[in-house]
Amino acid sequence: MRQSSLRFVAIGGREWALLGAVILASIVFSVASPYFVTAGNAGTIVRNSTELMLAGLGMTLLLAMGSIDVSIGILMGLAAIAVAHALLASVAPALALLVGPLTGAGLGLLTALVVVRGRVPAIVGTLGLLGVYRMGVFALLGGQWLSGLPAGLTELLSSTILGIPLSVLVIGLAYLAVWLALRRTPYGPHLLSIGNAEEKARLSGVPVTKVRIATFVISGALTGLAASFYVASYRNVEMAIGSTLALDAIAAVVLGGTSIMGGRCSLLGTALGVVLLRILQNGLLLMGVPSLWQPVVTGALLISVLALELPVSRLGDMKEKWMQR
Amino acid sequence: MTVPFLRATGITKRFGALTALRDVDLDINGGEVLALLGDNGAGKSTFIKILAGAHPQSDGELLVEGQPVEFSSPKDAASSGIATIFQELALSENLSISENVFLGRELKRSVLGIPFLRRKAMRERVDGLLHELDAHISDPEAAVGSLSGGQRQAVAICRALNLNAKLVIMDEPTAALAVAETRKVLELTRRLAGRGCAVVLISHNIADVFEVADRMVVFRRGRKVAERRKEDTTPEEIVSLITGAHPDVRALEQNNR
Ligand SMILES: Nc1ncnc2c1ncn2[C@@H]1O[C@H](COP(=O)(O)OP(=O)(O)O)[C@@H](O)[C@H]1O
Ligand SMILES: [Mg+2]
Repeated sequence: MRQSSLRFVAIGGREWALLGAVILASIVFSVASPYFVTAGNAGTIVRNSTELMLAGLGMTLLLAMGSIDVSIGILMGLAAIAVAHALLASVAPALALLVGPLTGAGLGLLTALVVVRGRVPAIVGTLGLLGVYRMGVFALLGGQWLSGLPAGLTELLSSTILGIPLSVLVIGLAYLAVWLALRRTPYGPHLLSIGNAEEKARLSGVPVTKVRIATFVISGALTGLAASFYVASYRNVEMAIGSTLALDAIAAVVLGGTSIMGGRCSLLGTALGVVLLRILQNGLLLMGVPSLWQPVVTGALLISVLALELPVSRLGDMKEKWMQR
Repeated sequence: MTVPFLRATGITKRFGALTALRDVDLDINGGEVLALLGDNGAGKSTFIKILAGAHPQSDGELLVEGQPVEFSSPKDAASSGIATIFQELALSENLSISENVFLGRELKRSVLGIPFLRRKAMRERVDGLLHELDAHISDPEAAVGSLSGGQRQAVAICRALNLNAKLVIMDEPTAALAVAETRKVLELTRRLAGRGCAVVLISHNIADVFEVADRMVVFRRGRKVAERRKEDTTPEEIVSLITGAHPDVRALEQNNR
């Protein structure tokens, strides 16, 4: 019998396939470029993956709920500006780290008010907010870069505990916390029942509105945490910040096996999807493909995965409905 | 005279200009299977959705054990002991049986303020219920999407039992089922009534209704047009009440014109 879709970290076919793809891509790129296998490049890939790991975790929850947020890139921009100003005001690095998720959670609540309370379809509501937030970033930056930020946060996140960088620990903890919430608290079944069919969830007594608002807030907080990581790695904030984050996150999450139709998710899949995407982007860059082509590759990947999967899952839906009637 | 478990008086429901239900009075008693019959669009589903708290009536009153109640959500109805198995079942196919049985009212224990699920307790409870119903489902962790129509009905009934419901409402539970599974579900309705539950059953199958129901109520164009005890009527009479060929219905509809 098919098992419940709540087996978030159990390794299924999808996760093995992604692992295989990661290894295959690594072999191909190390043949193509001697620089690919160096420690320096591995560090680059890891560093480039951190923000996407966190934002992708939030996007996993949103897609599993049958929702989406296309404004996360610019949300990260606003949160990064808040973190940058905290650093410029000589706030302690540990507090500055928290400024990101707090700002993100606040913005996530605003998104929830528009999408959930305002009953606007998520894709339209967050597209509208994208426009509003972009103006916000422009107004706050005034067309200039916030650069030369103090190094305190950078040092904090690269400090190690038992040999593991704090940045990696924080990401691990974020995944563990979300996994626990999904697997060990009512949040998991509630979220997935909404993603399966919101009306049925409501009839079953799931507090649909509360769960939807909470999920936008959690996603906002995770994207805000990504902003703290961004500021720590680049120590500047510029107008184009986060412009490909939503595309990258949706691509990585869908690649990871979370259903764009809602009702099914895999946290391990998301993490592997992020790694695969970043390896592809890095490898292509090393092979001399200009970085302007990266969104093209990501977009093509997203479209291919959906094209391959959707007819199958639609057939599944039809079969499900057929069996009910 | 004992107080009925549920008494509906003057229930009316309007959807904009359309009046789906008009002035319905009905008593529902514990230990009794009550069948609601009527043509498509007669208002049966609308009536039970009001009892289930899925939408409010436009007019009229509901009394549970003599006390007036107002339901603003299925949760309200559930806390009054009313569980509804909707025509569309309202199960989440992507979740397991035990997750479905407890969906929206999970067993939890609070650790540092975090509501952790009591998964083992829930699994055992569901195992017990499935056994009690003799549902032939071995694994409470199986996804509901992998079950047959009759097994899904059993899961939905487990949900109702788990709620300690005093009234279980079933909207066309056998419409999609094969003969053997239909038998099983009808048996379940009798077993529920045997436990002292009130059961309201919507069905189009007159033979099924005569097999399990103690009382029958016929709806037509949003009105309750007849109420019969099983021993006082025949399948032929019920059919003529549903189609409107019965003289009583003709007279009623003449008057209302
Ligand atoms: N949510 C709704 N909005 C508008 N009209 C509705 C709604 N639900 C039911 N109706 C209408 O109310 C009438 C009764 O429907 P229903 O209660 O589903 O009938 P039955 O279950 O007896 O077949 C129908 O005309 C139907 O179209
Ligand atoms: Mg109906």
